[in-house]
Amino acid sequence: MPSKNNFGKIVRYIVLIIMSLYTLSPLALLILNSFKSQVEIDSSPTNFPTTWNFKYLISAMKQINFLQSFFITLIITIISVTIITLISSMAAWAMVRCKTKLSFVLFLMFVSAMLIPFQSVMFPLIHLADILNLKNIPGLIIMYSGFGLSLSVFLYHGFIKSIPKSIEEAAIIDGANIFQLFWHILFPLLKPITITVIILNSMWIWNDYLLPFLVLGNSSTKTLTLELYFAKMQSSQFGSPWELIFPAVLVSIIPIIVIFLLLQKHFVKGISAGAIKE
Amino acid sequence: MNIYYKKWFFPLIGLAFILFLTVILIPFVVGVFYSFTAWKGTFFFKNNALTYNPFSAIVGFDNYIAAINNEKFCNAFLYTIKFTVIAVIVINIVALVFALILTKINQGAGIFRTVFFMPNLLGGLALGFIWKFIFEIIFSKVFFGPDGLIAIDALTNMTQGNFKPLLALVILVVWQMAGYMMLIYITGLNNIPTDLYEAAKIDGASNFQQFKHITLPMLAPAFTIVFFLTLASCFKLLDQNIALTNGAFDTRLLALQILRTPSDTSPPNYGQAQAQAVIFFVLIAIVTLTQVILTKRKEVEM
Repeated sequence: MPSKNNFGKIVRYIVLIIMSLYTLSPLALLILNSFKSQVEIDSSPTNFPTTWNFKYLISAMKQINFLQSFFITLIITIISVTIITLISSMAAWAMVRCKTKLSFVLFLMFVSAMLIPFQSVMFPLIHLADILNLKNIPGLIIMYSGFGLSLSVFLYHGFIKSIPKSIEEAAIIDGANIFQLFWHILFPLLKPITITVIILNSMWIWNDYLLPFLVLGNSSTKTLTLELYFAKMQSSQFGSPWELIFPAVLVSIIPIIVIFLLLQKHFVKGISAGAIKE
Repeated sequence: MNIYYKKWFFPLIGLAFILFLTVILIPFVVGVFYSFTAWKGTFFFKNNALTYNPFSAIVGFDNYIAAINNEKFCNAFLYTIKFTVIAVIVINIVALVFALILTKINQGAGIFRTVFFMPNLLGGLALGFIWKFIFEIIFSKVFFGPDGLIAIDALTNMTQGNFKPLLALVILVVWQMAGYMMLIYITGLNNIPTDLYEAAKIDGASNFQQFKHITLPMLAPAFTIVFFLTLASCFKLLDQNIALTNGAFDTRLLALQILRTPSDTSPPNYGQAQAQAVIFFVLIAIVTLTQVILTKRKEVEM
């Protein structure tokens, strides 16, 4: 029955296209209104801007110190994710290859920490950071590295279990030291799960609001999300100045959208692979 | 060879362990302890006396009793449960339906997957601001207001009142998370061997029977993951809550309630906030563990 099949196919595509438009419409709205004055946003929120005026984008970039906050966020994300990737893969490797009671207990400890919500540790953690003089960017990096461990150790642990030991044993017999063994033999084999670990951790660290809010607060060095939050809070005292908020949101999400579109295959694969391993 | 790995066990695991200890374990244990003290942030305050020694400011279960009698905390507790139940159900239905549609088409599936996944990339705060505009201006004036396309009162001013913001949050998180969960369901659907369906067809099973007796049971591992992820992230939702209503009209979810408890009183009552945080942890641990055990059991029965 080809006609019935075709009908079903058309319905499916129509549903998918409508839902895609629905999914994209808030982003379209964001782009359109980033080029309008407050008056124009109020009078015609869904129309194309009468002129594509970049002045709102530029003033929003000034308001949120775009260059500074962008690089702060970038540095925090890159360093934290690098630390998480390296130490969680090493730790997971040690726990898989060394089958002692202690190693099992440590693994359970790492994994069960996934159940601890951030809210249960945040006040004592900030108190501790205050004492250690770590309410700053290095402190933030240390905290992200700690919070990223649980999930990453879990993902690496599951993956390394499926890698045969014999490759490493051959390398040891050939005289490789522990660093060569890890960096040249094991780490390249972990590439698929490393991509997952990098993507999952980058996404939440880049977008995170609460931890920078508690650690940095309204200081002179803020992350992108934090700048956005304070821009909104300060401007809300004068109504809702959407002519500032829209362009500020737009410039703050452009970097991640660009990275996603460049690496989308890795994203989709990495996310699904990570999920199934869980 | 085991000896070789044993020798290197501590050097390899050391850094991870130290980080874990300082960032999670110690604050967690200290937090549980402080929930039994009259902690005010930088000092402790018991019997009208200021002290810096937590051991002389132990108040037993007072903070927990105060938390349970705290109207704001109880509201937030119920609000979170209501929100989570509705959001988890809707996200799962939407994600599964679109996963089923997407696995049935041949061309363009990749583009649709990318589009549906995109909202998940962005931070809750940025998205919350966009949706606040949509609810307050687009919905209330352009679409559903008295002068709009169709007047639907229920869909106007969704950031005001108590129940409407709950629905607004559901709309927002479904829009944001359904695409991610859809990817997991698609992976699950692709892992079902096609010969099962072929065998069922030969036996004369209808489409619905195939769905009920093959697709649903074979998706059990995907259900486990998706339920875990959606439950956990809905329970802990914060950024979207701040962006949409910032807790006005008793619309605080638990995460926001705990964050704002110290600033509700003067001096800040960190002891009670910490007690709420411990209750929050117990709630999340019980719910997610029960869920994983229940859905895993379904997987095993397969």
